[in-house]
Amino acid sequence: MIRNEVSNKKPLNILEKIEESLERLNDKIEVMIEIQKSNGSSISNQKTSLALQDASLDVMTLLSMPDHLRKTAMAICRCSRATAEETSEQTKRARAVESAYLNQLVIMGYLKKERKGRKAYFYIDRETQS
Amino acid sequence: MSNKIIAVHSYKGGTGKTLLSVNLAATFAKAGKKVCIFDLDFRAPSLFAILKTPSADFWLNDYLNNTCEIDKALVNLSSRIPGDGKFYACLANPSTEAIRDMSSKDRKWEMRALGRLLALRETLLKDNKFDYLFFDTSPGLQYSSINAIVAADFVVVATTGDRSDVDGTKRMLAELYNLFEKKTGLVLNKVLDASATAKKTEMQNKIKADYQVPMLGMVPCFCEILRAEGNLIFVQDKPDHPFTKILAEMARKIETNEVT
Repeated sequence: MIRNEVSNKKPLNILEKIEESLERLNDKIEVMIEIQKSNGSSISNQKTSLALQDASLDVMTLLSMPDHLRKTAMAICRCSRATAEETSEQTKRARAVESAYLNQLVIMGYLKKERKGRKAYFYIDRETQS
Repeated sequence: MSNKIIAVHSYKGGTGKTLLSVNLAATFAKAGKKVCIFDLDFRAPSLFAILKTPSADFWLNDYLNNTCEIDKALVNLSSRIPGDGKFYACLANPSTEAIRDMSSKDRKWEMRALGRLLALRETLLKDNKFDYLFFDTSPGLQYSSINAIVAADFVVVATTGDRSDVDGTKRMLAELYNLFEKKTGLVLNKVLDASATAKKTEMQNKIKADYQVPMLGMVPCFCEILRAEGNLIFVQDKPDHPFTKILAEMARKIETNEVT
């Protein structure tokens, strides 16, 4: 009888300890995510502010771009705002490829990115770049 | 994609861009289309004088400067072309002050100007049901011309037999239109002795082989056009002239996307 009680308690204790450990891990992960978010945004802000110093997407810039990026930038010029999926429909290249090029153009300061729900929209901010 | 926005461009000046732009636009208007011609040659505006328009309250300059909407800058000249078609013009301000102002714009202004030109597709073609927009550009690699080329669906490249023009045009075809993946049609203008059919075909083949781009048409050197000194909408005033027929054929090719 006593043995049974002990053996019943043991797994319960173990589970409780696991739960505690998971909660602690969860807290730590959340802190890490927050730290990464703030670091990430300050890095991207730095990058953006550096790039924006001379990042107007004018026709001479378009001409001097490598072909693969020009194609993507031209597609955004035409629709003024588009997702990677919509861009890929215009360029006839894979969505993942366009996503990479669009993000590259964002890092270079030529495009802006805005999330709405699960979709990310890319656009040229002509007013801020003035 | 159909050819709704057409830029008329050349490497050198004096190749007949404005003559081609005005008369191509007028050809479409004569055929019942709603068209608008834009003077994008801000350094040497000429449509104002050629079309003899009354003084405008707003110019294309104002639209690109974001000080007015496009409808304010359009001049309705439909009465010049009898029929159901509509013929509008959007003029560049010819005053010295405006020319000076447009010559000193920076890259960021040019970038916003490109945005305003691209927006015409929505405001004029979609909302106001225009059939065709024609951009008469300045020669060479000017910002305003490249903006027009980027915004256009089709580029009419005017050239002459002049050696310096031929070399420059070849470079532009390779280094400008190709990079922007633009559809182009070459117009060889002011051709001497192009009356004989055999000679015409031979010349066309040579041009196609030389430039490696589709040919939109060949315009002989007509004394009547020189005599008119830019005072006529030629296709309207001389409906039976060979020039009018050549322009009608070019318009047909543009409309049917048949530039080979």
